[in-house]
Amino acid sequence: MRWLTILVVLVLAGSLAAPGIAQQKLKAGFVYVGPIGDYGWTHAHDFARKIAEKKLPWLETLYVEKVPEGQTESFIDKLIQQGARVIFTTSFGFMDGTLAAAKRYPNQIFAHASGFKRAPNVATYMADFYQVYYLNGLMAGAVTKSGKIGYVGAFPIPEVKRHIGAFALGARAVNPKATVHVRWIYEWFSPTAAKEATEALIAEGADVFAFTEDSPTVVQVAAKRGLPSFGHYSPMHKFAPKHMVSGQLVHWDKIYVDFLSKVYAGKYTAENLANVDYWWLLAEGAAELGGDFGMPINPEWAGRMQAVKVGTPDLGRLSVYDLVMKRLAQMSDPKVTFEPFTGPIKDRKGVLRVQSGKRMTVGELNTMEWAAPGVVGPWPKEP
Amino acid sequence: MLEWVLTAIVRALAVSTPLLWASLGEIYAERSGVINLGVEGMMILGALSAFVVAQVTGYPVAGLLAAAAAGGLAALLHAFVSVTLRANQYVSGLALTMLGLGLAGVLGRGWEGTPLLNTLPEISWLTYMGLLLAAGLWLVLHHTRMGMVIRSTGESPAAADALGVNVYLVRYLCVVFGGVLAGVAGGFLSVAYRPSWTEGMTAGLGWIAIAITIFAGWDPLRAVAGAFLFGALFHLSFRLQAWIQPEALRMMPFAFTILVLAATAGRRRGQGAPEALGLPYASGER
Amino acid sequence: MKRLGPFRVERVLVPSGAWVLTVSLGAVAAALVAAGMIFWAFGINPLRAYAMIFAGTLADRRAAPEILRQATPLLLGGLGLVLAFRAQFWNIGAEGQLLAGAVAATGVALFTPIPAPWLLPAMFVAGFLGGALWGMLPTLLRLKLEVNEVVSTLMMNYVALFSVEWLIHGPWKGKTAFGFAYTDTFPEAARLALIPGTRVHWPTLVLGIALAGALAFFLGRARLGFEIRVLGENPVAARYAGIDPVRTILLAMVFSAGAAGLAGVGEVAGIHHKLLAPGQVSLGYGYAAIIVAWLARGSPLAAIITALFLGLIYSSGDVMKVTLQMPFRVTDVFNGLILFFLIGSERLLNYRLRWAPGGRPVETADA
Repeated sequence: MRWLTILVVLVLAGSLAAPGIAQQKLKAGFVYVGPIGDYGWTHAHDFARKIAEKKLPWLETLYVEKVPEGQTESFIDKLIQQGARVIFTTSFGFMDGTLAAAKRYPNQIFAHASGFKRAPNVATYMADFYQVYYLNGLMAGAVTKSGKIGYVGAFPIPEVKRHIGAFALGARAVNPKATVHVRWIYEWFSPTAAKEATEALIAEGADVFAFTEDSPTVVQVAAKRGLPSFGHYSPMHKFAPKHMVSGQLVHWDKIYVDFLSKVYAGKYTAENLANVDYWWLLAEGAAELGGDFGMPINPEWAGRMQAVKVGTPDLGRLSVYDLVMKRLAQMSDPKVTFEPFTGPIKDRKGVLRVQSGKRMTVGELNTMEWAAPGVVGPWPKEP
Repeated sequence: MLEWVLTAIVRALAVSTPLLWASLGEIYAERSGVINLGVEGMMILGALSAFVVAQVTGYPVAGLLAAAAAGGLAALLHAFVSVTLRANQYVSGLALTMLGLGLAGVLGRGWEGTPLLNTLPEISWLTYMGLLLAAGLWLVLHHTRMGMVIRSTGESPAAADALGVNVYLVRYLCVVFGGVLAGVAGGFLSVAYRPSWTEGMTAGLGWIAIAITIFAGWDPLRAVAGAFLFGALFHLSFRLQAWIQPEALRMMPFAFTILVLAATAGRRRGQGAPEALGLPYASGER
Repeated sequence: MKRLGPFRVERVLVPSGAWVLTVSLGAVAAALVAAGMIFWAFGINPLRAYAMIFAGTLADRRAAPEILRQATPLLLGGLGLVLAFRAQFWNIGAEGQLLAGAVAATGVALFTPIPAPWLLPAMFVAGFLGGALWGMLPTLLRLKLEVNEVVSTLMMNYVALFSVEWLIHGPWKGKTAFGFAYTDTFPEAARLALIPGTRVHWPTLVLGIALAGALAFFLGRARLGFEIRVLGENPVAARYAGIDPVRTILLAMVFSAGAAGLAGVGEVAGIHHKLLAPGQVSLGYGYAAIIVAWLARGSPLAAIITALFLGLIYSSGDVMKVTLQMPFRVTDVFNGLILFFLIGSERLLNYRLRWAPGGRPVETADA
């Protein structure tokens, strides 16, 4: 019997020591609102999760997709039960659930994407690319022949509205008469609706397209008609290699790697997150210009960009190509020497929204409801 | 004005193609007395099969054939449960939808995010074939003996049985036929309409096809009108956004369906559902 | 009369409750075996998978209440459909009626000055009326104009969906919602109490169980309940008995749609405390309620069990997503398989095995 006792003692000792060894690995749980197969928001988060896992050898990840907002807490419980010590909730609607769970698990670390409420153990983070949309707008203004640019929008919330706003501001900077025609489909994912909305815009004379929808449908529809478009969120270049001018890409992995590294190093704990708010843009590498990684402007369109010249107040007269690259450099600079939403800016009704010389604050950007000049079409809740 | 009408017609033709194919199949199934609420499941399985086969072989038509097979197989299951086992057809159809969406979602993992290399144009022979099919099916249904046999199994299977009709066989064939057409409808989506695969890409079109079946009074020619109308309204719901609230427009096709049904109520005497629709039949039972 | 070894197979017109339960459990077991093959295809040991599902649902103190939470709207919706189906009215519109009830409750919660103790009851009444009203149009269309109710109720679901979208993006968009599509959060008085330590909004659940009992009594004892049953089972006899189909179906649908509306109230007042995207308010509860009603085979009390059963299946799906890291669509495969096996086993309900070894001639009434 003695060997059995020794064995039991060893096992007990081992299990007591285990936490020390187990702490070498950090488990993170990801709560997704959509399916990872969508080619948009959730897909990008999952893509970033995989990159983070590869980059950080001590990281193990779990994920759960298509979580209904009302069940946030339930799934957080399950992830924590599976050993997750850091929980990422990737949708605004998870906010209340995240905070309630955070209260119940004061030693767990939480990070909520696109939210604004924090706690000692809840940080917030967001990667936005309205700056990239401005650059896309510059290019759209140069590329459109009819002066009508089409935009297929999902839901009229501030995030989408500011993207359209930046896009329109960029378009008008190159072509002061350009108009951005908006059609809403009221779904984040609906290829049929996106397709018909694009067709309707084509029938109205739009000849360049950007969109917020979790699939490459708009790109495909435009390409079938030989019309240029801008990819959205994920690299969609392969869906229209000749017709995609550029697009917006997101690198959530930059935020994930940064946050998780700091947690692992002990810099971020379950007590000091109340002021941790990532608002990462081009300068931090969370957003990227292009329809595919490493390709800010499709070489097929470079010639056209170089041919169109435009005058600017601060850079003189230059080609759109150079303008885009210069603005990109300015916004990628840590000092961010250029901000699209710099006043004076009036909305499309003529009301002054941004004072002369001032930049919109993050708070204002997050609650933006007005439409920029040049935007044509329905704009629910327009102030 | 002319441009508006022309565009609306073109778009309506495109959107109505899958709706028409699916509802034509459902009409035949329901005319024989079996209601199949699994159209959505059959369509999505068809969409996946068509995409995978078209991508691998490079031939969209091969994809469509695969889609037809997939839809037919799924319908066979429904037929077995509804006709042989005489179980509740509504629930069997719902289960088929669930199973179809689930299987397609699970099996389709990994096929997402790739564009289809060889596609079919939207307004292709599929559209025209759909119209011809509608005409042909109408002819068969109302002017041939086979059509009469089918209708009799749906109206009064006992009488048909007494006259020597194999009610089970007729119902099996009609349900599988419905599945084949639904599969092709789904294949159209992933091979021509929007050439790629994403799980859930049928987005409720199967349910609308079922609605069109009923809306058309179980008549193939009226199904053409129904599908076309729905397609036109769907397109217009985006076109008219410049003037009318988007949400109101999005609900327009559905509200319109109810309106038309109510308005044409009087004229539809004698064009109701097949009497025995949804009721299991057992040979020898009263 | 068939023989199966020492058993004799006999036809039974009305199966006993015990036999129904046995066959149903057998079907579920068969489905689990079939689903086990899916686990196996994913490289997961089916037995281990099921052990984990059990551990994550029934055996987990924290997860078990989730079953109740999911079952609540299923029960209310299912009860309504039990009644509608009994009257042979194919109400596929429970989803839209649920949303209508949620909208009505939200309106009362946010925009009326009703004081604290009366607010929640008012919300429930409003929700019932909202749902009932939403079901009225298809009912009247069918009763007066013979419009097929499957299509009209289905269409009303879409109309409800986009109406909610209009509200949360437009006139009812919350001032505190940061521009997102939510209404303002409900005041404290408009929130349902929760079982301590869980997220189960018990008033709705109690309401559902009470309603089940009331409905069982109503169908069995009340005159209108009797009329509904006769109308559903034999319309010709009903006509001879002088039962007015219009009035009867109308009243049945008022309850059916109203019950779905109550489910909607529970969701917004008990879980979300605001009105939000229709796909978040109802996770397909209106359609799942059809299954709940069917499985209950017309018995309101059985609907309690079937609603819990469906809640258990959903919870198992959640465990599969997290613990087994399976793609989310696998839950649909699971649910579909279970349903199919249950449907397939329906036939067996009408047969019975009787022990009759040795070829002994047995006197039976149903030869």
